Amino acid sequence: MTGIHADIDALKGLHQALVRYRHAQRDVTARGQDQLTATRASLEARASRLRAQLELGQAEYTACQDRAAQADPDDPVDCSGYARAVEQNSGRFEQIRLWQQRVDAEASEFSGIAGRFAGLLENDLPRMEEHLVAIIASLEAARRVQPAAS
Amino acid sequence: MISRPDQDGDQQLRLLGDAWDKAAEHWRDGPARQFGDGQLTPLLQESRTYLEALRKLMDTLEAADRETEG
Repeated sequence: MTGIHADIDALKGLHQALVRYRHAQRDVTARGQDQLTATRASLEARASRLRAQLELGQAEYTACQDRAAQADPDDPVDCSGYARAVEQNSGRFEQIRLWQQRVDAEASEFSGIAGRFAGLLENDLPRMEEHLVAIIASLEAARRVQPAAS
Repeated sequence: MISRPDQDGDQQLRLLGDAWDKAAEHWRDGPARQFGDGQLTPLLQESRTYLEALRKLMDTLEAADRETEG
């Protein structure tokens, strides 16, 4: 029986594989989107934290410069530590901004491809599954095979 | 360690390819060819395009996370 109807069994296996594929790839697309959202949020949080540090450091540096301007020439005030901190934070902040721009650019490029794939999973794949079910039913009817109860 | 979605997607693509190869051993008539050429092959191609783009994006997200740490 199995040998005679091997094509029907194979088609049923393919149908099941397509259904599993649709569900699994939906999960893949959702996880990809979640990862993008999480990374964007993480970058924004880091940028926000650094922005606050940068503003504070800049204020401290300005205050130090004011003190230096009024200081006794024989007892100068050294602001180089503040200047270095501002420079370092400024560099790190700029690096995060560049990564944010790069992520946005790549996400924009990705969205078109992801949209087409989502449409395929939502529309084309169910039609393929239905097509296979119809072929299976047709073969079973032609051979007078009693379909298995679902 | 949590696997990356693009790697899981690749694995699913391989499983579907295997299922098709298995089905094609027994289903070889005209409708089989039409289904393979007209529906399954475009699905596999579009899937590969998507998963390659996803891999590239995941690489970028990992690099962004790594390079902005601390």
